[in-house]
Amino acid sequence: MVFNSLTFIVFFAIVFALHRLPLPWTAKKFNLLIASYVFYAAWNPPFILLLWGSTIVDWYIARGIYASRDKSRAVRRSWLVISVAVNIGFIGFFKYGEFLLQNWQALMASFGIAYVPPAWDIVLPVGISFYTFVTMSYTLDVYLGRTKPIPKFLDYALFVTYFPHLVAGPIVRPTQLVPQFQTPRQATRDQVLWGLGLLILGLFQKVVIADAGLASAADAVFGAPGPVGFADAWLGTLAFSGQIFCDFAGYSTAAVGASLCLGFALPDNFRMPYAAIGFSDFWRRWHISLSTWLRDYLYIPLGGNRGSEARTYVNLMLTMLLGGLWHGANWTFVVWGGLHGLYLSVERWVRSRTGVAGDPAGAWNRLALALLTYFLVNITWVFFRSTTFEGAARVLSGMFGLAPAADPVLPTIYMIKVAAIVTGILVVQWLMRNASLEAVVARAPWWLTGLVAGAMLFTVIVAQGSGEAFIYFQF
Amino acid sequence: MKHVHEQDEVTVREIPAARLAAIGWLVVLLVLAGIGAWEWRMRTLGLTTRDLDDSRSHWAVERRKVGGAEDDGVVIIGSSRILWDTNLDVWEEMTGRRPIQLALPGTNPRQFLEEFANDPNFDGFLVVGVTPDIYFGDWPGIPQFSGLTKFWHDESPSQRFGHRVGMLLQPRLAFLDGAYALGTLVDRLPVRDREGVRGPVRDVWKIWDVGPDRQYALWSRIQTDERLREHARWVWGPFDGAKKPDEEVARAIEQSKRDVATIRAHGGDVAFVRAPSAGLYYEHELQAVPRANTWEPLLAETGAFGIHFDDYPAMRGLDVPEWSHLSRESAVRFTRAYVAVLQQRFPQLGKPRD
Repeated sequence: MVFNSLTFIVFFAIVFALHRLPLPWTAKKFNLLIASYVFYAAWNPPFILLLWGSTIVDWYIARGIYASRDKSRAVRRSWLVISVAVNIGFIGFFKYGEFLLQNWQALMASFGIAYVPPAWDIVLPVGISFYTFVTMSYTLDVYLGRTKPIPKFLDYALFVTYFPHLVAGPIVRPTQLVPQFQTPRQATRDQVLWGLGLLILGLFQKVVIADAGLASAADAVFGAPGPVGFADAWLGTLAFSGQIFCDFAGYSTAAVGASLCLGFALPDNFRMPYAAIGFSDFWRRWHISLSTWLRDYLYIPLGGNRGSEARTYVNLMLTMLLGGLWHGANWTFVVWGGLHGLYLSVERWVRSRTGVAGDPAGAWNRLALALLTYFLVNITWVFFRSTTFEGAARVLSGMFGLAPAADPVLPTIYMIKVAAIVTGILVVQWLMRNASLEAVVARAPWWLTGLVAGAMLFTVIVAQGSGEAFIYFQF
Repeated sequence: MKHVHEQDEVTVREIPAARLAAIGWLVVLLVLAGIGAWEWRMRTLGLTTRDLDDSRSHWAVERRKVGGAEDDGVVIIGSSRILWDTNLDVWEEMTGRRPIQLALPGTNPRQFLEEFANDPNFDGFLVVGVTPDIYFGDWPGIPQFSGLTKFWHDESPSQRFGHRVGMLLQPRLAFLDGAYALGTLVDRLPVRDREGVRGPVRDVWKIWDVGPDRQYALWSRIQTDERLREHARWVWGPFDGAKKPDEEVARAIEQSKRDVATIRAHGGDVAFVRAPSAGLYYEHELQAVPRANTWEPLLAETGAFGIHFDDYPAMRGLDVPEWSHLSRESAVRFTRAYVAVLQQRFPQLGKPRD
């Protein structure tokens, strides 16, 4: 079920009404758990078994780890290995199975062995990368001693399955959400209103900006069969930069809003990422719940920056390469992650040599570095959006002026739309670089906020979204 | 001191210190006023609540009807012409049974012919609408309707439910029409395109309305509004008479031959119907997909029965306002004429109920 669908409106109205009934707290949580399973099953009912499998395995393994806390580290580690093996096994089979077979085939072919893999017709369960990371964070936190096992299975199952974050994040940690389930709570009137406001904002980003405003230009450029010229290549890539942000940040904002209406706070997942100055800043603003997950459960366990300088760079690259692969079973995603790893490494090296920490002095310097960061991010988006390296090379050639004889691709109206919308996104993000939405709304006249929110909801309705899935569902 | 990340703490969300209730009421008022004005405007443009927005889910509902009765009955596949030009009420009146309409705008029906051939349980009567420049080419069709042979199996419960809710809303709100969605209207703004680029202003605009059971008909404004009619004709421009490659035509006929034979072996049957076209579009078709190279070999190779509108006086001289689809009145006449021919040839299609 996607947020931008009529089904979700009906679903959410029922869930909200049930949650407001004067029922015991346990009954309310049970309702939410059932609703979350319905939310997931509404996409493909059999895959609910995977969700249950992941939930149950980590419930028992976390208890096993905690029960063996006084035993040897090897015992605890063996519990952890089982958890990681099961979770990575699920993802590996459903998400990377075909990819692994194809690469194995290519490897065999390089040795002159003609291996033909069996046909692979497995559907990727929606959101598997997200909920697997959620369950793994629980087990890992128990293993690392950051948290104790959750006493009640209902609280734990709801933490894993809670529908607002289930299929596309934010990837929550037990410490962030479980305590909220442990004590009765009801959203206040203002929480409900603000939650609805965030829901409207998220849907506006997805339905109006990403789908109606930018998707067609990005699709046209990245789907072009031949060379792409300079203007088309840049506008197509800029369109995708806006589309991927509004699609994913839109989902996260809607998720936060829906959850707030029910009285539960989810963390921010985006904070004006295109206003970032440098790449460590970018990753503090883009898909925050993933970047912090990778930091806490991959980069730091690998040694983080505690070893030699060379080891730190290796850790950075490994983390970003795997982070890239998390997004999809394609080497283009690995290159996307690798580029980010390279950018982070270069930035770290420059900062260590110059001794500059934090943002540079001077507004123009900051603006120039922010634009440089955005420029380099756009280079990475080419690999993220292209399904093949040939496709990526076509677009990159255009962006660097190496395809002067290319036929034009984009209609004028798409060019106008991309220029206007992307400029708008950049200006808004720059102006709100250090401000929260809540602070801006608190300062603005109430009628202006109402006017903007009303216009957003109106355009969402008349844009008549087709209920297309969010891009990140496939990851 | 150990640094505490926000991931290590219970999440708390700030609520802005603003007059949220007043903002909420203003939003409600604005949206109600805006939607009211938008609905009024769309109705003045000719949108009605009787017109349903066709969709993948809408098609899937019809597709799942095949095999739902004692036998598979009559199923229509094809591109937009057989879709617009067949009046299901007339068909039902003449044969006592309503066909299942599965034709799709801008889509090559050969993928569906193949699907029915691959279904050993299908023993129905298949009417295949032939729009020559689509049928005899490799182009599968517009992306909006791609993958439907898989979709109707895999459609999620959420999509099915959403379609039902949509069907409750559409008879009440005229503005719910994808052809007049905000994004579509913006894309149609008259700006000059670069040389060699075909912009969305040259997409097919609204030329249809849709009733229950996917009963398409030419939108009444196409008959009354010269600007829209001229735009629709202008859009057909790319079908400029360039001859369809022989190998594409050969592939189309070869596939049809195989699939028709398979369907017959399963107890079903197939008839091809070439609905009328007119004006410059018809002239282009004569050059690009000449009948002698396409239609005649199709019938000869498949051994199937075919109805070409040029061969029947009752099907000629009909009103084709934008050169490719019949007016409502002519669609009734065309249906009456071609169903009568089919009934004569295939008695199993039935007679009117008493």
